[in-house]
Amino acid sequence: MLFSRISRIRSTGSNGCRWFLSHKPHLQFLNPPAYSYSSTHKVLGCRENFSWGLPALHGFRHNIHHQSSSLVEEQNDPFSLVADELSMVANRLRLMVVTEVPKLASAAEYFFKMGVEGKRFRPTVLLLMATAMNISILEPSLRGPGDALTKELRARQQRIAEITEMIHVASLLHDDVLDDADTRRGIGSLNFVMGNKQLAVLAGDFLLSRACVALASLKNTEVVSLLAKVVEHLVTGETMQMTTTCEQRCSMEYYMQKTYYKTASLISNSCKAIALLGGQTAEVAMLAYEYGKNLGLAYQLIDDVLDFTGTSASLGKGSLSDIRHGIITAPILFAMEEFPQLREVVDRGFDDPANVDLALDYLGKSRGIQRARELAKKHANIAAEAIDSLPESNDEDVRKSRRALLDLTERVITRTK
Amino acid sequence: MVANRLRLMVVTEVPKLASAAEYFFKMGVEGKRFRPTVLLLMATAMNISILEPSLRGPGDALTKELRARQQRIAEITEMIHVASLLHDDVLDDADTRRGIGSLNFVMGNKLAVLAGDFLLSRACVALASLKNTEVVSLLAKVVEHLVTGETMQMTTTCEQRCSMEYYMQKTYYKTASLISNSCKAIALLGGQTAEVAMLAYEYGKNLGLAYQLIDDVLDFTGTSASLGKGSLSDIRHGIITAPILFAMEEFPQLREVVDRGFDDPANVDLALDYLGKSRGIQRARELAKKHANIAAEAIDSLPESNDEDVRKSRRALLDLTERVITRTK
Repeated sequence: MLFSRISRIRSTGSNGCRWFLSHKPHLQFLNPPAYSYSSTHKVLGCRENFSWGLPALHGFRHNIHHQSSSLVEEQNDPFSLVADELSMVANRLRLMVVTEVPKLASAAEYFFKMGVEGKRFRPTVLLLMATAMNISILEPSLRGPGDALTKELRARQQRIAEITEMIHVASLLHDDVLDDADTRRGIGSLNFVMGNKQLAVLAGDFLLSRACVALASLKNTEVVSLLAKVVEHLVTGETMQMTTTCEQRCSMEYYMQKTYYKTASLISNSCKAIALLGGQTAEVAMLAYEYGKNLGLAYQLIDDVLDFTGTSASLGKGSLSDIRHGIITAPILFAMEEFPQLREVVDRGFDDPANVDLALDYLGKSRGIQRARELAKKHANIAAEAIDSLPESNDEDVRKSRRALLDLTERVITRTK
Repeated sequence: MVANRLRLMVVTEVPKLASAAEYFFKMGVEGKRFRPTVLLLMATAMNISILEPSLRGPGDALTKELRARQQRIAEITEMIHVASLLHDDVLDDADTRRGIGSLNFVMGNKLAVLAGDFLLSRACVALASLKNTEVVSLLAKVVEHLVTGETMQMTTTCEQRCSMEYYMQKTYYKTASLISNSCKAIALLGGQTAEVAMLAYEYGKNLGLAYQLIDDVLDFTGTSASLGKGSLSDIRHGIITAPILFAMEEFPQLREVVDRGFDDPANVDLALDYLGKSRGIQRARELAKKHANIAAEAIDSLPESNDEDVRKSRRALLDLTERVITRTK
């Protein structure tokens, strides 16, 4: 199926978990795929649902000027802190991808229209970061006349959240381009039917170009550079995954580098961009970057673990999607350090389910899962430290956002799906 | 020099990506280098009020820096152009490009798509390094236009396919926008006024349109002045270009032929037949000449300059407006 992260039936297998996005394969405007997804779809446990839908909780009005009576239960949920703002961003995103060509719009919009409840992780982090950063911009007492300025800054930071999502979705679309003859292109036919491949490439290009224009509109060339670099990283990461040698596949270093490119770069550099737009110093911008990067790495490592364990703490209840696609992740890499024999198993590939079982066996005997969790915790802690290192602020909104960001570093580790 | 720098700019640590990205920058496959030629000539043609020749001594560093920045535009433009070619070839299932295998054919669709994205991202980084937000906006708009143009081409309705207006708009997006906006960027980097920048834009735009119209004609005529010796690649892919559109105005029956599509070679022959009877080819040439003239006028309208380099470049730009019309391939 075109837009699904599940499209890894082919043996080259090409994708580590992309966080925060999964999709139901219901695309009416596309031709039915050559293969069926229903069985594989159930198997996926590792992918978070990404949704722009309104949260189930009562909206917490994000007010940057003063604090209304705080609702304690919302304070415990970082997502509700920015819920209203998030729906604004979501709506704007939808508007931004409106185009005269309906096919393209529905293709691109598909990703922003998930009805399923999800965590909306990335934009949440970015919006929280925006507030957490707003320290020296304006003192509360000066907020009156500065309102317009503050609003404008906020709008610009929201723009980063939108751009980030567009880049993310564009890269998903392009990653899904297959080499098989799955295209049905009616060249010269009247009812021109775009194959899945065409739609994926074009829709991705469309989103990228809109992201470029939106980036340009921020009139900040440093931010343009940052986010352009992210695109390069996404491409590099995906290519790394497509073209690994055996040596590289078994290297923790290579794996972490690829993970940075594919997962952490986007969020780390967007956090940094948020800080730069907010006029923060280079040091503070680096802290924002470090938060994003380590949060992203922690998230991916737990994702890797969950692919094996699922919602239970024991092995084998997870979807095992990574390993079945020949993607070697942290737990296995750690296990290989304890059991060199596992290396041979890995080299043989995992088309044979017996080999998968063998690998799981070694994994179970090893401390692979635990070490992956430990590494995730380590990165989560670094992320938390980055928040703690931010310059002091007495602003209640700022403090709340920072607590929320800290909270996220916990949730990223303790989540079970 | 620009070509070499381009090659360096696409270096990356992932070998496959590197070879994919630099595929079309290899020696011999750079295409006609039309665009960079125009841009570099424009850069010189523009350099009027920056520094008087007598002052050139101490100002050398400044001039060199400006020149380097303008060369950067030429590089960026090429990267954007090649990125769009890579994607277009995937979209068209093309197997050759510039006389060699297309990248998607050689390395697969996905790598071609990723390589295109990679080039685009590098172009954006290079753009950002110019630290000129107006120029960034201009070229970002070009990226959007390229996608829009390709989309227009892929998703036309029958009505639209037979509309000259739609065709010219699509041609602007796909061909002229890149060169016109890069010319404008060159002018802006050179500190020119908005009026002069518009002249640069108009030159690029009309040159681009003229180029495409002649391209359309040559696809039918090839190197001979008569019909049918060309590659006929457009019509075989169901792409209706200016000559046919003009012919349709004279022969409404041609419309039905077009609507039937061109999978059937007999239909192609029928269309060629109508085309031959019509003034389609001539009118396309006439329209090209009209645009070439507008381009030439833009150069003539540039503020006077006594600098010999400037005058030479302007003559060269004028010369190009001739060549674009008279070329046979």
